[in-house]
Amino acid sequence: MVFVLTPDGKTLCLDLNPSTATLRDLKQSIHEKSRIPGPLQRLISSSSPRLLPVGAAAAAADDSLPLCRLGVAPGSTLALHVPLLGGMQAPGVPPTRPRLDFLNSKPPPNYVAGLGRGATGFTTRSDIGPARAAPDLPDRSATTIGGAAAGGAPGAGRGRGKPGEDEEDDEGEDKGYDENQKFDEFEGNDVGLFASAEYDEDDKEADAVWEAIDKRMDSRRKDRREARLKQEIEKYRASNPKITEQFADLKRKLHTMSTQEWDSIPEIGDYSLRNKKKRFESFVPVPDTLLEKARQEQEHVTALDPKSRAAGGTETPWSQTPVTDLTAVGEGRGTVLSLKLDRLSDSVSGLTVVDPKGYLTDLKSMKITSDAEISDIKKARLLLKSVTQTNPKHPPGWIAAARLEEVAGKIQAARQLIQKGCEECPKNEDVWIEACRLSSPDEAKAVIAKGVKSIPTSVKLWMQAAKLEHDELNKSRVLRKGLEHIPDSVRLWKALVELSNEENARILLHRAVESCPLHVELWLALARLETYDNAKKVLNRARERLSKEPAIWITAAKLEEANGNTSMVGKIIERGIRALQREGVVIDRELWMKEAEAAERAGSVTTCQAIIHNTIGIGVEEEDRKRTWVADAEECKKRGSIETARAIYAHALTVFLTKKSIWLKAAQLEKSHGTKESLDALLRKAVTYRPQAEVLWLMGAKEKWLAGDVPAARAILQEAYAAIPNSEEIWLAAFKLEFENHEPERARMLLAKARERGGTERVWMKSAIVEREMGNTEEERRLLDEGLKRFPSFFKLWLMLGQLEERLGHLEQAKEVYESGLKHCSSCIPLWISLAKLEEMTNGLSKARAVLTLARKKNPAKDELWLAAIRAESRHGNKKEADILMAKALQECPTSGILWAASIEMAPRPQRKTKTADAFKKCNNDPHVFVALAKLFWHDRKVDKARTWLNRAVTLKPDVGDFWALYYKFELQHGTEDTQKDVLMRCVAAEPKYGEKWQVISKAVENSHQPTEAILKKVVVALGKEEAENSKQ
Amino acid sequence: MSYLLPHLHSGWAVDQAILAEEERVVIIRFGHDWDDTCMQMDEVLASVAETIKNFAVIYLVDITEVPDFNTMYELYDPSTVMFFFRNKHIMIDLGTGNNNKINWALKDKQEFIDIVETVYRGARKGRGLVIAPKDYSTKYRY
Repeated sequence: MVFVLTPDGKTLCLDLNPSTATLRDLKQSIHEKSRIPGPLQRLISSSSPRLLPVGAAAAAADDSLPLCRLGVAPGSTLALHVPLLGGMQAPGVPPTRPRLDFLNSKPPPNYVAGLGRGATGFTTRSDIGPARAAPDLPDRSATTIGGAAAGGAPGAGRGRGKPGEDEEDDEGEDKGYDENQKFDEFEGNDVGLFASAEYDEDDKEADAVWEAIDKRMDSRRKDRREARLKQEIEKYRASNPKITEQFADLKRKLHTMSTQEWDSIPEIGDYSLRNKKKRFESFVPVPDTLLEKARQEQEHVTALDPKSRAAGGTETPWSQTPVTDLTAVGEGRGTVLSLKLDRLSDSVSGLTVVDPKGYLTDLKSMKITSDAEISDIKKARLLLKSVTQTNPKHPPGWIAAARLEEVAGKIQAARQLIQKGCEECPKNEDVWIEACRLSSPDEAKAVIAKGVKSIPTSVKLWMQAAKLEHDELNKSRVLRKGLEHIPDSVRLWKALVELSNEENARILLHRAVESCPLHVELWLALARLETYDNAKKVLNRARERLSKEPAIWITAAKLEEANGNTSMVGKIIERGIRALQREGVVIDRELWMKEAEAAERAGSVTTCQAIIHNTIGIGVEEEDRKRTWVADAEECKKRGSIETARAIYAHALTVFLTKKSIWLKAAQLEKSHGTKESLDALLRKAVTYRPQAEVLWLMGAKEKWLAGDVPAARAILQEAYAAIPNSEEIWLAAFKLEFENHEPERARMLLAKARERGGTERVWMKSAIVEREMGNTEEERRLLDEGLKRFPSFFKLWLMLGQLEERLGHLEQAKEVYESGLKHCSSCIPLWISLAKLEEMTNGLSKARAVLTLARKKNPAKDELWLAAIRAESRHGNKKEADILMAKALQECPTSGILWAASIEMAPRPQRKTKTADAFKKCNNDPHVFVALAKLFWHDRKVDKARTWLNRAVTLKPDVGDFWALYYKFELQHGTEDTQKDVLMRCVAAEPKYGEKWQVISKAVENSHQPTEAILKKVVVALGKEEAENSKQ
Repeated sequence: MSYLLPHLHSGWAVDQAILAEEERVVIIRFGHDWDDTCMQMDEVLASVAETIKNFAVIYLVDITEVPDFNTMYELYDPSTVMFFFRNKHIMIDLGTGNNNKINWALKDKQEFIDIVETVYRGARKGRGLVIAPKDYSTKYRY
């Protein structure tokens, strides 16, 4: 235990054993307790005033001595003293390494100056020598000398490779790249065993000795060696002489040359490659703007002020060259270019700009003048020449060559060429024909004669030869000759037959069918020329030869028909078809139908019928028959082959006896194309097979009536009545017949009978009409009342009753009738309109307006009601009201043509066009709108347009009389007589029934029996009146 | 006056001297103490050494004793003064055509101090080349 008194008056108790613990331990423990560093502690033993050794002295001497040796006993007290050092560094602290110690210290071995800090030199004066590589050079020896000691360390700083690298590799690389190392011829890059040895006196002596020896050896063989060297050089010079030596002798002679000779040496041209290239240099044309500018500038210089020129004096011509308009030249060039481009463009765009038909004629008419074309011809000539030379047996080559010459205009050369061709390939007919074409007309015959001699079997050549002859006799002679060589040529035979007269032809054809028996045409031609009997024989023979040819059978049939054996015709055709089927020929129905039509056209009706009869059913399915046949007949009818169609129908009717539709079709065909008798016969047949068909009866009756045969018609109707006893149609037809033929009594009787048999409302109505006609108002009223009792919902009876009352002037009754009628059928528009009109007449507009409003409420979207209301308003001059109504009406029925037409007419002139456009948008196919438009055009005097529109309207609705009337009126005003008549005819044919104005006229009692024509004219007059009134307003 | 200035006796010492200075310009005079041009130069150097000691330090190198830099720095002239800062050779455009060094004896103390100051300022800014305050081209010298 040791006690320490610290400077701050405390006592530290240290657990130390002075006999074992050292001074260092003591200081350590003091440092731990009081935080005073060891070197600063001054310890004074209190028992003996002695300073314990401290600092450097302690470190040197006895820091490790036990304390007991320093006089410290267990339990003794030490005084700690801390010296005041006055802010100075403690002298005991060891100093850092002095900064300038490099001034005195030795450098490390093998240090390369500048390397340590990576210094780089500079080169400002290259004449003095390399500066940059300097640090390496001087220490080479140092490196090698001390290399062994350094052990691979040297040069690490010079980037010779990192020391950690593979050693062997390193070495190899080093040797390869180190340019500083001397390369030895014998030792390579190896430094040598003794390279590191020092160069001493012995070495010097040895070198001197070796040098002396070398010198001696050199001098010994010097003469011989030099001689040999000289020889070798001379040998080399002899084998590779210099150019100067080669021409040495010539050069020597130059001094003999005179000055003139020297001058006459031609200048050598520049044939160097560089100048050759220049030839292909492209020249860009100078732009016009530049030229123009240059001209202007020049003008500026040379031109004189016009004033001074006027003053005279300087009369020099100021411009020698004529001033050309360069821009015009440029434009012209542009057009030429564009033309050329146009010609080129078809090859570029693929779309040809040349019309193909005109092109050939153009080619023909084109004269070859330009250089390009001539060069083309030259090229082609060359090519064709090579063709004909390499392959002289190739006829197209010769032909092409000859044609080229012909095109080039050298006809003589062409002839020669083709002649050569003929010689080379005499067996080709094309060459001969070409030769014949090219040769002059006189020679042509000779050429073709040669040709046929070399190829006697060529039909073409013979034909050509015949063509070359002018008169027929020679032609036939040539052809005969040809036939001697080629007896089986049909073409030759035909040509020959065509040339000869009938008698000769027959004989020729006999020969011809013998030589070419398989040709139908020849057989048929022969048959045509022969008499009936012989023809039969001919055809029989032909049939034997050509068993599969239908034409022979048909011709046979025709022959029979022409000779009056109609009974044979059917048989022949039938047999023919059977025979053909036996032969395995497929019977093509269409083909046979065509044959039938052809026969019809040739006038052989029986043959036609026979063909149809026999072939129409072939290849048609059972269920398709009717449809196919009807379609066929329609087709034939369209093509104008009436007989064929008739035959088809006849055959169809034998199969479908009871089909009404076919009967009707057949009847229509007869009506349109046949005679009255045929139609009558057909209808008779029809009604016998189909007695229930009213239509057929009625048709027959009408036909009779139209033919003016009223009794016959009556008889037919009676028969019909017998066949169909309760048919109203027939009753009415009978009534109409009587009525129209002014037999009202009979009509009345018929109707009475019909009424008794329980006729329908129509019968009652007709009865009333008859009475009205007769003027029996009482009877009429009675009938109408009775009729209304039976059929209260039949509005026509109500209407008639009302009209009757009106006619008699009983307006109140009429109104009652209408009202009661409306009770029964409130949806009847005519009743409403009639009532409204009556009201308007009796009580004025306000009542009528109420009626129409009610009507509109009960029957919405009815354009007639709206129109009646609008008309009523405008009749009373309420234009505004009418307009409003029209707008409403068009909202409710936007597609109503009548309303649109009315609105167009109501609109003021300038707005009509737009209105029309609107109308077309809403209902573009309404005849009313058409008519309105036509009226517009009519007013504008656009006659053609108006006509087309009117025409359109009447074709669209031919049963509206108003349109017809308008059309007729228009034609009366603007058309010719023909057009007027045409319209009249068409109108009569159409039998119009409807139309506001039309019905007013046609239904009037006094007009009841008028023909359509008269009514039309009346309507036209009424229209004219109306228009006049309108214009007055 | 060369005895007043520290000498460097090996290439290594030269390198260490250049590397050791962190904040000051290192001025090295290459030449021979006995050369009269050097003597003139050393006179100036020695007299300004104390003045510029805060931003520059001067060493002398005998190029015969230390020939390591002769080729590297083209030391052919009797006296060559070069400037380094943080191991970087600082060039001065003196107008002589050689920007690498002062290869004549500069006799004016203030001029030398100005040059050193310019070098120090430029080097501190990271310049590798500074322009001397005065043009020393031949037309001014003669």
